Amino acid sequence: MEIKSYNLLNVGVGGQGVIRASQILSYAALLENYKVRTAEIHGMAQRGGSVASYLRFGTEVEGPLIPRGKTNTILAFEASEAVRIFNYAGPETVFLISEKIIIPPMIHQMGMDYPNISEISAFLKNISKNIFFIDGIKIATDLGNLRTMNVVMLGALLGLNVLPLRKETLEKAILRYLPQKLHEVNSRAFALGIETGRKLGGN
Amino acid sequence: MSRPDFASEQVGMKVIMLGNEAIARGLLEAGLVIGAGYPGTPSSEILPTLAEMQKYFPHLKLEWSVNEKVGFEVAYGGSMSNVRSVAVMKHVGVNVASDAFMTACYAGARGGMVLISADDPNCYSSQNEQDNRYFGLHALVPVFEPSTPQEAKDMIKYAFDFSEEYQSLVLFRTTTRLNHGRGDVVLGNVNIQNRDTGFDWDRSRWVCLPSHSRVLRMRLLERLDDISEFADDFPFNSIQLSGERVNGVRYGFVAAGVPYSQLLDALNFYGIRKKVSILKLGLVYPPPKKLIKKLFDSCDEIVVVEELEPFIENILKQNAFEEGFSKEIKIHGKDIFPQNGEFAGEIYLENVARLMGFSYKTVPVPDSMMIIPPRLPILCPGCGHRATFYAIKQVEKKMKTKFVNSSDIGCYTLAVYKPLEGIDTEVCMGGSIGLANGIAKVQSKENPVLAILGDSTFFHSGIPALINAVFNKNNILVVILDNRSTSMTGFQDNPGTGVTITNEPGVRVVLEDLVKGCGVSADKIWVEDANDLNKTVEKLEEAVKAEGVRVFISRHLCSLLESNQFRAQQITPPTIDVNPEKCTGCLICVNKFGCQALNYDEESRKVSIEQSVCRGCKVCIDVCSQNAIYEVDA
Repeated sequence: MEIKSYNLLNVGVGGQGVIRASQILSYAALLENYKVRTAEIHGMAQRGGSVASYLRFGTEVEGPLIPRGKTNTILAFEASEAVRIFNYAGPETVFLISEKIIIPPMIHQMGMDYPNISEISAFLKNISKNIFFIDGIKIATDLGNLRTMNVVMLGALLGLNVLPLRKETLEKAILRYLPQKLHEVNSRAFALGIETGRKLGGN
Repeated sequence: MSRPDFASEQVGMKVIMLGNEAIARGLLEAGLVIGAGYPGTPSSEILPTLAEMQKYFPHLKLEWSVNEKVGFEVAYGGSMSNVRSVAVMKHVGVNVASDAFMTACYAGARGGMVLISADDPNCYSSQNEQDNRYFGLHALVPVFEPSTPQEAKDMIKYAFDFSEEYQSLVLFRTTTRLNHGRGDVVLGNVNIQNRDTGFDWDRSRWVCLPSHSRVLRMRLLERLDDISEFADDFPFNSIQLSGERVNGVRYGFVAAGVPYSQLLDALNFYGIRKKVSILKLGLVYPPPKKLIKKLFDSCDEIVVVEELEPFIENILKQNAFEEGFSKEIKIHGKDIFPQNGEFAGEIYLENVARLMGFSYKTVPVPDSMMIIPPRLPILCPGCGHRATFYAIKQVEKKMKTKFVNSSDIGCYTLAVYKPLEGIDTEVCMGGSIGLANGIAKVQSKENPVLAILGDSTFFHSGIPALINAVFNKNNILVVILDNRSTSMTGFQDNPGTGVTITNEPGVRVVLEDLVKGCGVSADKIWVEDANDLNKTVEKLEEAVKAEGVRVFISRHLCSLLESNQFRAQQITPPTIDVNPEKCTGCLICVNKFGCQALNYDEESRKVSIEQSVCRGCKVCIDVCSQNAIYEVDA
């Protein structure tokens, strides 16, 4: 099936691999001959700040920015970051969210509270009916390499059957950005992610 | 590391590139020789990408210059010597370079000469959102603006042919979403030119004294006329004319850069892309008069879609007046699209809908809102800047006064936030010392005036202001936060590291010697390890209390670089822990020092160390008044 335009928003915290995930997905979309556009913010935002990366691909995409409400899929490597950009989602938007919350430093000193996972879940369920949580960190830790979390998440996205890219191209793209010695563990992370995604989506 | 795509010689291969990589690739394909500039988001990746390419294409001669003005001059010296040259900087960098730029435009280019200005609508990483298209108008230099990474590559390559044909400088303007967006790009041929680089001893051209400049200005005006004539045929300008009406009106759109791409998405969204006229500008100045007239001829209402100032809008309105259309045509611009910030994706959809009478539903606001506190950028664990600002606070407390902390541009600007709240001014590069000069003239002795800036910023433009303080006896304390890196923009080297952009040994400029050379007497210079808190507090107090112009160099390698170095050398940094029996939960370490490795547990009312975050700098050991924090024996 040829896709005219697919809008994906990757969010998380600096250092979690958000931009790398966009790079991988971009390359996979390129391998399937789509036009690709991304937009991300470097600089100030890298110092532990929020990171958001827009990714658009398809036969009819021109600019990199996604209008509010028009995102197909939101991939959140940190749960509260999914709430921060909730207005990019519509009722059909699929959220795949890592359960873990990273509380920013200084929050309590500033006299502010940070929401917990059940509050986040309750809020997002009012936004869209397709909210999926995954314990990406646990799966990655069980695999013996925490840094495979973003590959687990990408696999889960595919397993959920929402990403219009082929398994082979996505795996090829994942491995392209990794040294040979990490291929095996990441292939396993990818497979485990797909399986987890299938279960989540009841596929 | 395998050869990166951007350095590949596989012509025709389609790859994903960051906008800045695509620009670097275009420079390589153009036959560039000299590239110079100063790091600044969002331009920072262009020269380092070229530096990566230089491993495979050693003809490239690249440098991080000490500031943008010097960077521009280095490139222009290349142009004078008949090689293709580029100066790369962020928008505010052009202010620094403008002294050279505003006269270089008179003498024009010999080897192709392009100035890249990376503008930053929305101030994502900048102190302002100035619109540098006006620099083209100001200097009578053509302004190019690409809308996608592919076009950026092709257009900058073309810019050099253009520059040589018209002997004109070219201002190549981008915005953040182009620089820091990725797209599919097809690789072209790498061009290596072997030119005669013999100097051109034409003094009537290169010596811009009044009698020459009057003549050169006439040539500049003629050049601009020629370029204006050509603008209609500029290969990156295009026009789509449609006679169709939408809701009874023949609409026309004018756009350039990223807004052009986003506009196309919006027109596709409403299914009217082919039903309206569109003038796409790749050359935003000077304007293509015939194309504009064609647009006037086939439209009733025209909408200029541009971020920041009404640059194209004003040009269009002027043309409408000159062509006698001012009564017949309605030209929209800033009456519809905002003059501040970046246009988010929905802004195009909302405004096109409002203008043309479509319905556009905004995202409904949920019944109960959830507010997520901001995740502010913060100094890293182990950062010497945090320790220095903490030390400054300690001295302030001891002296029972408040300092005026005039500061500058760099990571340390983040010290404005809680808990440090350590800086009181920030205007421009090197401005900390200049402002302190003025502030010190009228502040009473009870409020000592400090100028606090980083090593790279000091080299960039702090030096003249320091000399000024010495010369005019403006008594200030300059604190140089010497972390041996230009960290905020991506750890670029600077004169203090003595390593060049292509990772070769250069000559290191020693800050102490430099400061002495500026006229600061040897007994007014202090140097201390930033992370040795007790010593820093002691010496800083001495420095604050001393008379005259003083310099305190607070030195510690950038903690990100230091931890990389530890990893590379397989050094285990010290392990720090908290003795819960001694911790009283006073929270000074958390509330005043504020390193993110310090955790406070509300239940036990004790502090602990998040070991995955801690880099073992040991400063918190000295911060703790209860001796509860300690180094674990290895």
